[in-house]
Amino acid sequence: MGLLSILRKLKSAPDQEVRILLLGLDNGGKTTLLKQLASEDISHITPTQGFNIKSVQSQGFKLNVWDIGGQRKIRPYWRNYFENTDILIYVIDSADRKRFEETGQELAELLDEEKLSGVPVLVFANKQDLLTAAPASEIAEGLNLHTIRDRIWQIQSCSALTGEGVQDGMNWVCKNVTAKKK
Amino acid sequence: MKHFLRVLTQFLVFLYCKCLWQGLKFVVRKVTGRCELQRICYNNKPGARRTLKIESSLKCSKSELLQSAVSVHPDAVEKTIDDIMVLKKIHPDTNPQLGISLQACLFQIVGYRNLVLEVEKLRREPYDCENPEHEDMLMQLWKALRPESPLTGRISKQWCEIGFQGSDPKTDFRGMGLLGLHNLLYFSEHDKATALQMLHDSLQTKLSKMSKAEWEKKKFDKAIGYSFAIVGINITDLAYSLLVSGALKTHLYNVAPEMPSLVHFQQTFCYLMQEFHRFWVEEDPCDIMEFNRVRNKFHKRVLKQLKNLDMALCPHFTASDLHLVNL
Repeated sequence: MGLLSILRKLKSAPDQEVRILLLGLDNGGKTTLLKQLASEDISHITPTQGFNIKSVQSQGFKLNVWDIGGQRKIRPYWRNYFENTDILIYVIDSADRKRFEETGQELAELLDEEKLSGVPVLVFANKQDLLTAAPASEIAEGLNLHTIRDRIWQIQSCSALTGEGVQDGMNWVCKNVTAKKK
Repeated sequence: MKHFLRVLTQFLVFLYCKCLWQGLKFVVRKVTGRCELQRICYNNKPGARRTLKIESSLKCSKSELLQSAVSVHPDAVEKTIDDIMVLKKIHPDTNPQLGISLQACLFQIVGYRNLVLEVEKLRREPYDCENPEHEDMLMQLWKALRPESPLTGRISKQWCEIGFQGSDPKTDFRGMGLLGLHNLLYFSEHDKATALQMLHDSLQTKLSKMSKAEWEKKKFDKAIGYSFAIVGINITDLAYSLLVSGALKTHLYNVAPEMPSLVHFQQTFCYLMQEFHRFWVEEDPCDIMEFNRVRNKFHKRVLKQLKNLDMALCPHFTASDLHLVNL
């Protein structure tokens, strides 16, 4: 296939664009997850000041993934990115039990946001490669995810480091993105 | 078939150019009576101009000895130069300066390669709470930046005061490992005034530009200029990528007359921190969310500067401080 025909193909079938917001506490693994999604090198990650954005093609969608820094000082800025969000992905460090309460509070506040009402939420119970990681079921219970009634949600255990479980989560995203768009 | 012909043509053109280049080199050698290495040394002043050309000449050479010269151990440099002189039939007595010049270039070349390895090793070493040396360095960093207020505990909210994200800095080193800590500590101890000024400035909110009511409405009360330590770790990443990509060769070949070492890298880091701060103020971003935009722009600017072969990045330190030769 020549370059021209590739270009033409790209032009004729524009993928449906999906805006995905990646949030969670600092050191949760959001940037690693983003780089894993974009199949980039994950050995040079630094703490995110501000945000990163990447576009990933997946299953006929163009996923525009926004990874916003999770540092407490940056959290007030999260709201600037809520508009037109199709899917919210919330990343949790499953091994950082001391901060389960804090991460639960942040998530609860996000779910109360008007601009995010009805937006499907995928919770990644990340860092399952660590021995001390809590299983996804325990986290779901701790966060009271079962009480969520106003949107579809899913919890997926994963390791952004090894890539395990990431694709399963993204499959769920692609399956449920249409539900919101209609 | 068409594709095959195209590849074949490209290959033939490549061969032709290579023959032409070799032929040209041969003719020039016969006319001037000097080999390529000699010509480079005579026509270029010491520093990046000369060393970069010598490096590429060695790498492209047909001779195995010359090709492998760029990766010899520093201890073997002198012997390698002697071998090259013999191979190229250059008599040391008639060209006393050439051996010295070539040796200096080769020391820089192998020094840079070793520096890349050393830096990479530090970067790969994760911060370890169990290691007393690591813990010690972290405490020194605190003392250097906050001499007036003692730390209340190893895990403390106070770490945020110097720009770490949370109450335990260890998670912030991440992909930069110990390299980030080494750099931050070097900056805070050896360029203390600049580091403290930068830390002070980074803690200033941009309150003056907005009315207080507007500020509170936007809930930006916790917002700051930027986080000093985190920015340091991000600038470490920048310095690291400049080093690994080879872009820093211009700078290091110009400032390190012998072998570039870790100290040179750390001084480059200090310079980048200071320049980034200046650049940040110039760019005047609305808030921290613009960090990556500003950072990328800064990166491009530094890369452009390094394209100039006479460029050296550390005007801040005086040459006597660093035992540097000013070119």
